Amino acid sequence: MAEVRALLDILFKGCVLLIAFLALVPVLHLTLAAIVNGGPVIASAGLKFFTEVPPPPGNRTYGILTSLIGTIELALLSTLVGVPISFMAAVLVVEFPHSRLGRIVRLLSRTLLELPTILIGMFVFTIIVVPLGSPSILAASIALALVMLPYVTTYIETALSSVPRTYREAGLALGMTKARVAFTIVVPIAVRGVVTGILVGLAKAMGETAPLLFTLGRARTSLNVDPLGPGDAIPLLIYDYAQAPYENLREVAWGATLVLITLFLLVYVLARLTIRGVRV
Amino acid sequence: MPPRSVPREDRLFYFSLVPFAYIIIAALLLLALSITWKALPALEAYGIDLFLRNVWAPREDSPGDYGLLAAIYGTLVSAFIAVVLALPLSVSLAIAVEELAPKPLRGAIAFLNDVAAGFPTIAFGLWGVEYLVPFLRDYVMRPLYSSIGFLPTFSCEPLSGASLLAAGTLLAFMVTPFMTALIREAYASVPFHLREAAASVSSAWYQEVLLVLGMIKPAIVAALLLGYGRAAGETVAVSLVVGNSFNVSLCLFAPSYTVSALIANQFGNATYYPLMPEVLFAGGVFLFVIGLVINWMGVRMIERVRWVG
Repeated sequence: MAEVRALLDILFKGCVLLIAFLALVPVLHLTLAAIVNGGPVIASAGLKFFTEVPPPPGNRTYGILTSLIGTIELALLSTLVGVPISFMAAVLVVEFPHSRLGRIVRLLSRTLLELPTILIGMFVFTIIVVPLGSPSILAASIALALVMLPYVTTYIETALSSVPRTYREAGLALGMTKARVAFTIVVPIAVRGVVTGILVGLAKAMGETAPLLFTLGRARTSLNVDPLGPGDAIPLLIYDYAQAPYENLREVAWGATLVLITLFLLVYVLARLTIRGVRV
Repeated sequence: MPPRSVPREDRLFYFSLVPFAYIIIAALLLLALSITWKALPALEAYGIDLFLRNVWAPREDSPGDYGLLAAIYGTLVSAFIAVVLALPLSVSLAIAVEELAPKPLRGAIAFLNDVAAGFPTIAFGLWGVEYLVPFLRDYVMRPLYSSIGFLPTFSCEPLSGASLLAAGTLLAFMVTPFMTALIREAYASVPFHLREAAASVSSAWYQEVLLVLGMIKPAIVAALLLGYGRAAGETVAVSLVVGNSFNVSLCLFAPSYTVSALIANQFGNATYYPLMPEVLFAGGVFLFVIGLVINWMGVRMIERVRWVG
């Protein structure tokens, strides 16, 4: 009997390890594929990959200037719109946990987390793009801010509520108001968690495609940075070129994917580095 | 609203935060209302048939004939394939990280898993088109078709490879990291005395692990539900590999459609066709309801993982 169990143990262990390895293969292979396919494209175009607009079909030149600038501008604008709202809402949830509003916001931000992002695209199209008359960088930024909102709110909320009660009580005992306790004691202690939350939300928003489909326009061949005008973004470019029947556009798509993954990893590692250190 | 006993300064603080909370509430309410409102004309015109028939006959001069059944079927089936495939992957990965990986590797794998969970979905899409679809066609679909093609699920000849199976498999890889994170968290939360209890009645390591998995069953069900919700709402990656054609067929190798892929492809030009935008908004309502119901059930399930004593 004992041998049978030992054998089963080894068998079980082997299966678990094999399947677990299989689970990690896709993301590793995909990163490798982006390097193998995108690397040479960027290398052969050199700096021009970042300074020239995308090529016409069939051409042998490469460039993603418009979508690169667009992605950076979208990241900045959506952070500017989304983070203050998330931050203040999270402070309300944590500092007034028993208020009805706090409980509702807590529940809603968790519900919004799993909302299909294409719905946010349709929504922003209806209430902003249609009234303004055309897609714009501003509309797309608002869509991405809506994508970020629940993530950042939930992250900041978790960070703020991890600060022990005793710290708050110490402040209150000194006669500080709740607002001063929140902004001069709780937030500074939890600042790394707050920054991580913002960066994770930023990483998420940067990689999103669906909310941009109907809100951003595709100003791909000429650069526009006016928020009220149309723009482009790297994920949108990849989506379009992945379906294009032209070899060179697919190559641009792979180069763009490598850039997107690099940007994503940069933000993510940055988030990871800030999370280290503080232990309350 | 804080009670009257709360000092005046603190009440002011509360009220200064209220507008931000209202923005979040208003966003969700407005989203639900505007999408439902826009969908109403289509629901009036076609009734419940809109969700039960498979037709797509747009016309430019008059309202065409629409039924979303193919897309709804594709959404439900591809998400189902996704969680069925993702369950063993994520449970194994969770056990491997929590039980088997050497301590220094654990953090690295967990980090890799977190990165994968937030990875740009469009990257999965491009990878799916260029690698996964051809691979599945040559090494999974064709062998299955030629060996056990008499089964209805494998009974059609794979053409390009873009199909429900391709969409489901890609979605499985995309939701696995997310499901793993949920299961891993629950696994790690099992208190030590319960681990000891499991060890004391087990005569082998695998029995102990199975017992612990039994303890966190609600978390595994929650991971399945939330993974299903995520898979059902995913858009761009799926639309690149699902084949985008209006098919309701038991065969998993046939090109199909999902609601979100349909919206992604048709919404941009829908205004040229009377009632088509409204029909797509009705698809949006379907996605919204599914997302809300599944998410609510999933969050309630997670809350059932509580340790006593």
